[in-house]
Amino acid sequence: MKTSIVGIGQTEFSTNSGRSELKLALEAILSALDDAGLEVNDIDGLVRYTWDNTSEAAIVNALGLPSLKYYGETEFGGVNCCGAIAQASAAIQAGLASCVVFYRALNARSGVRFGRGERVLTEDGDALISHQPEPPGDIYSAPFGLLVPGQHHALYAQSYKGHYGLSDERFTEMLGSVAVTQRKYANNNPRALMKDRTLTLDDYKQARVISEPLRIFDYCLETDGAMAIVLVSQERARSMSAKAVDVLSASQYIFPGSVPMYLYAKDTYSLAPPEAGEVLFGRAGLKPSDIDVAMVYDATSMMVPLALEDFGFIGRGEAADFLISGQNGLDGSLPVNTHGGLLSEGYFHGLNSIAEGVRQLRGESSNQVDADTVFMTLRGASSMIMGRA
Amino acid sequence: MNIKPAKQYLEQPYWQHLAKGKLFLNSCNDCGSSHHPPSPICPKCRSFNTGWKEASGKATLNSFTVVRHPVHPHLEQDVPYIVTLVDLEEGVRLVSGIPAGMNVDLKVGMPLKCQVIKKDDDFALPYFVPVDANDTASEG
Repeated sequence: MKTSIVGIGQTEFSTNSGRSELKLALEAILSALDDAGLEVNDIDGLVRYTWDNTSEAAIVNALGLPSLKYYGETEFGGVNCCGAIAQASAAIQAGLASCVVFYRALNARSGVRFGRGERVLTEDGDALISHQPEPPGDIYSAPFGLLVPGQHHALYAQSYKGHYGLSDERFTEMLGSVAVTQRKYANNNPRALMKDRTLTLDDYKQARVISEPLRIFDYCLETDGAMAIVLVSQERARSMSAKAVDVLSASQYIFPGSVPMYLYAKDTYSLAPPEAGEVLFGRAGLKPSDIDVAMVYDATSMMVPLALEDFGFIGRGEAADFLISGQNGLDGSLPVNTHGGLLSEGYFHGLNSIAEGVRQLRGESSNQVDADTVFMTLRGASSMIMGRA
Repeated sequence: MNIKPAKQYLEQPYWQHLAKGKLFLNSCNDCGSSHHPPSPICPKCRSFNTGWKEASGKATLNSFTVVRHPVHPHLEQDVPYIVTLVDLEEGVRLVSGIPAGMNVDLKVGMPLKCQVIKKDDDFALPYFVPVDANDTASEG
C-alpha cells in the first residue's frame, strides 16, 4: 500500500455517552481532522462498517460537505477493522478519492449491547424467536442457547484447550496473562476505561465464569463512543505537517465457515490458515520477526494466543509458554495490545487498536515501545501492518 | 429453554425432518457430499442438484461450553446449560447441545450419538450425547 494514516480522533470511552451516535461520529471526525491538520472540506471519501448506524449521507448532510467522491462499506463490524483500511487505501491508490475518513460510532453499552441476546431475538409469549439465517443468534444455534459472540469465543477456547491438552491451571494462567498484562497497560493509559482498576492474577482466577472456560475478565468492554481515522496517499502525507504512519500492508482473508462467526470452519483451535499471514506479510515484504508491537483484536483474551500462532509469531501450541512467561508485556519479545486492548481500554470495534498502533509509531503511546512496525489483526479475517513514516 | 426459529423456517425440510424425529442433512445428489447449513448449491462440486439424506447420527465433539451467565432474562432459569460444536461422520459441523439435566463428562474428541428431542408439535432439535449415555433424556 502507498497510503498513510495522518489523523486519529476519538470521543471519550464511556458506558453512557449521553448523546446520539451521529454526534459521536461527528466529534470523532472533527477531532481526527484536527489531529491531521486538515479541514472538513478536505474529506472526499468515507468508509464504514455495514453494522454502523450512521450513514455516509448523514455525515455529508450534517457537515455540509461540498461533495463526496467515494464512499464504501465493508461487511460486518470488527471483522473488517483492517478491511476498511484496505478499502480506503485502494480508493486512494485508484484515484477515486484523496482523503478518506474511516469512522465508527456506537452506543454499545447504553444502546444495543453485543453481549445480550435481546439483540438477536424477539419475544412471542413465553418463546424467544430467532429470525436470522446467519450467526450470531441464527436459527441453527439460537435454539441451543448460543446467542452472542462471547459464547462462540468460549467454544474456540475449549477447542484449543482440548486440542493441546492444556490443564485447567495452565490454560487459566495463559489467558490470565493476557488479561492481567493488558490491565497493567490500561492502568498507565489516561483514556482507558479501566485506568483506575488494577487486576492481579489471583483476582482473575477467582472471577466469575461467563461461558466456560472464559471468565468475566476475558471479555471486552461494551463501550459508548466513536473514533475516526484519516488516510491520504504517502506522497501527500510527506507534504503535510501531520505525524504520519504508513500503511505497509492491509488484507482481507475469509474462507468457508470463517464468517460471520467461525462456527463452521474446519479447525476451531486455529482461526486462520498460514496463507492469511503469507498474503499480509508478503505485501509488506516483511516477516513476523520484523514486527515490534502487535495489536490483536481481543473481543476476548483467547484471540491473543490464537493470533500469535496463526501468524507465525510463535509455533503451534506455544502460546501458553509465551504468555505465561510474560512475552506480551513491555519487557517481552512482542508487546501485545499496549493500550490495554478491547479488554481494558475500551471497545471501538477495533479502531482504537489501530489508533494505538499509530501512537506507537509516532512515539506517543502511554506504554511506548521502540517500534518501527506494528501488526494488527482480527483473527486473520482482516489484518494490517503499519510502519514508521 | 424455549428458543425457536421463526415460523417460516420451520417449514423448510431440515426442520420438517427433525419434527418427525429424524436428522436429515442437505446433500448433493451428484457427488454425494453433505453440507450444513443447507444451501441451494453443493460447495464441493457446485451442482444445484441437491436433496436430503438421513444422517448416521455418529459424531465427535469438536468443542463445548458450559454457559453460566444468562444473556437474556428468559434464560435465568436455564443456566448452566451446555452448547456444543459437533463434527458429524458425514463431514459437516452442527451447533448442538446436551439435553438439560443430563450428567456428562465431556472431552474434546469424544464420540457422540444423535438424539432428536421434540420441543413442541412442529419443532425438534438434534442433540448429541455421549455414546454410552442412557436414552433417558426427556424434553430439554
